[in-house]
Amino acid sequence: MIRIHVLEGTALVWSAEEAREIRERFRLVGTLVGALARKPRQNAHLGLPLQLLPEEARLLAELGAAVLVRGTETQPPAEGEEPTQASEVEAYRRELEESYQEQQRLAGAEREALLARLAERIAQGRARRREQRGETPDTVEDSGLLDSPFVLPHDAMMVQLPTARRCLGQVERVDWTSPSPDWPHPGRPAHEARYRVFRELWGRGYYLSGGSKFGGDFLVYPGDPLRFHAHYIALCCPQGDPLPLRTLVAAARLGTGVKKTLLLCSPDAGGTLAFTSLQWSGLQ
Amino acid sequence: PTGRGRPSLAAPSCRMEAELEPRARRLFSPAELLAARTRDRKVAQCSQGQKDFIPDGSEEQAERLHRCREEHWQLLAEERVERLGSLVKAEWKPREGIVELKSPAGKFWHTMGFTEHGRQCLLPEEALYLLECGSIQLFYRDLPLSIQEAYETLLSQGTVSLLQYQVFSHLKRLGYIVLRFCPSAVPSQYERQLNLDSYCKSSGKHHRKRKRHSSPRLQAKKPKGSGTPPECEGTPKKASDSCGSPSHPASGRSCLPEKSKESDPASGEVESVQVPTDAAQLSKPPSRSKAQAEDYGKAAGDSCSGTHLPRWDFNRIAFPNMASDCPHTFLPQPDERLLPENVAGREADATRWRKLVNQKREKLSRKEREQRERESRYKSSVNADREVRRCSNWQEYKELLKQRSQRRAGRRPSHLWDQPVTPLVKPDQVASAAAVLQQISVLQPSHILDGASRLQEDTEGMKIDFSVYQADAVANFKKNDPGKPYARMCVRRFDEQIPSLRAVKQLACQSEDVPVIFALVDNGDIAFYSFKEFKLPVDIYH
Repeated sequence: MIRIHVLEGTALVWSAEEAREIRERFRLVGTLVGALARKPRQNAHLGLPLQLLPEEARLLAELGAAVLVRGTETQPPAEGEEPTQASEVEAYRRELEESYQEQQRLAGAEREALLARLAERIAQGRARRREQRGETPDTVEDSGLLDSPFVLPHDAMMVQLPTARRCLGQVERVDWTSPSPDWPHPGRPAHEARYRVFRELWGRGYYLSGGSKFGGDFLVYPGDPLRFHAHYIALCCPQGDPLPLRTLVAAARLGTGVKKTLLLCSPDAGGTLAFTSLQWSGLQ
Repeated sequence: PTGRGRPSLAAPSCRMEAELEPRARRLFSPAELLAARTRDRKVAQCSQGQKDFIPDGSEEQAERLHRCREEHWQLLAEERVERLGSLVKAEWKPREGIVELKSPAGKFWHTMGFTEHGRQCLLPEEALYLLECGSIQLFYRDLPLSIQEAYETLLSQGTVSLLQYQVFSHLKRLGYIVLRFCPSAVPSQYERQLNLDSYCKSSGKHHRKRKRHSSPRLQAKKPKGSGTPPECEGTPKKASDSCGSPSHPASGRSCLPEKSKESDPASGEVESVQVPTDAAQLSKPPSRSKAQAEDYGKAAGDSCSGTHLPRWDFNRIAFPNMASDCPHTFLPQPDERLLPENVAGREADATRWRKLVNQKREKLSRKEREQRERESRYKSSVNADREVRRCSNWQEYKELLKQRSQRRAGRRPSHLWDQPVTPLVKPDQVASAAAVLQQISVLQPSHILDGASRLQEDTEGMKIDFSVYQADAVANFKKNDPGKPYARMCVRRFDEQIPSLRAVKQLACQSEDVPVIFALVDNGDIAFYSFKEFKLPVDIYH
């Protein structure tokens, strides 16, 4: 079960495996919005969390593949409340100490192995230096390669800054069917219209992503956006809403300019969807 | 056991609580941690070439897609592993809404953070950004926070929202210096005109020290004449001396800071008025105002306080003309209520003084005399004209000039000028066709700040969130004195209503001469929009 963490109406996925499943199994793309762990100070490749469109999150919840949750310990404790985490703090400290000991042991072993590999060269170097200084070679002293036990400075220890929550105990479910401060989308007419269009196009096998870059609601891809360009710009026009000719011309022009077809999607009250595609052609 | 088959399109069935079990936790063993010391830090470009147009079911395409995806997941799955010594310890203080540093700050202190009560602190968005970069370790209740927990704890509507943080981190990753916007720190256009902002900043510390000693009124006179203590900011005209002699509370009603350079007796100019102890006495008849001119030579003023407009109507107050061509020489005794306590006023007859004025003949050196002689060939003094001497004020002089120019213009042809429709321009009025076009233009060029200051406060809920400074200014950047920003950001959601012109004007007015950029966030994608100045092209070249 995929866990979608909700933060003030935004759906976030914090696990790389879940992100992979969402993309490869459910054909939902999302957007990465965090810093990449390997190289955080650039904008070309971003990292976790993966932000899902409200429509994508709702689709996953409807399919029963995901559940919306939110963290519960985000409020500061009230006055006078004692933080009852002494045991967890103790556990954390113990874990840190154990990790330190283990790392020290491993680092020591590594160093020993390295010295053993280079033992011959070290011995030669020492002998040469003694000759230069004019002393008599003394093999007894050369035998001890490690003069003192290896100590890893505490500061040189490596620690992990985990991306996702460690313990999932403090989460609770959010109902995606009714509006709440954490998930305000259900019931909004704009969201409902968009979701119907999204569901229909997804059901036909396309990949969909946000379309604000091209002035539309969604971009429709024939395959994974990593490898294919978008074919359509989907614009939701609820029936009954006026569509000024200016807007239509602007949208069609934009689509032509970027070599995509404009797709006007009209959900009506009866449950059917009408799709109209516009392509600019000359008077031939 | 969760169903892992094809996703069903049926209604969601009831789920068991066991499905909330965590997946494999991504915690590293010590061996992995140590191995991470020698990790590769480069991010390769997507190495699979250009995108294809349409999926054709070929093996090649599938293989390329697979490789692309593998690279993608490999990068995403990496966790942050840092050396403990290079991490700065920080603690989240929810009540104050800031993050306090527990160990000394690193290089980031140059552009981020602030000091409060001797502690080094960071704002929540700065702390979160540094956590994502792997520079700090954030603790809350003695436990380190993961990135997810930090997002959920630090980002809330009260401090900074997720949207604002997304824009903030986007700009920081590009290298800009981003600070929160503080409306009171923007110098107004008038202050910048006076070059006041640089002065205030440099002497801000002195102000604070001085205030501790005594109230500004009892201060000794400041040696520099251009200072404006914060109280005087509203004074519309010149910067005044903050004169220092104390005013007696009983009669200290008027504030008469006189310029020490002025020697003209009729110059008692009032800049601002202290709050009167007895308001009724301020409504004086105009005749008394002549008396205040008596106080020439005595700098008996108080430092200006407050931003009160002058109480006297100078359109009705007449200053006596004491020049040599005017017979007015008698000045009555000034009203005692206008004077400080230890100053006595008396009436004066200026006849004697006037005779002494302009006694000395001007002695010119030979060079000056020659220059005057040369100039007299083509220059003539305006005052040599008898008609000009007859004018007694500027209004009459301007009338005279207008009459002369009209007479010079000659008679206008009646067939042009006597009709209901008259020519737009006279031949000597304009020098180019462009100027003529300017007369008939329907659209006047306008600037976004036109009329902005008159609008009332109603920005439709929009406000400026950040000030952004250029990346190449990092070397000279000072946190206490950042200077003029490159731009100011207003963060909005993409699906919100486009702001009205009034709201845009108000934001531009708040930001004075720095352009305002709107950062529109659409589910993780950020686009920047701003208004750009441009001029409509003029049709012809002159």
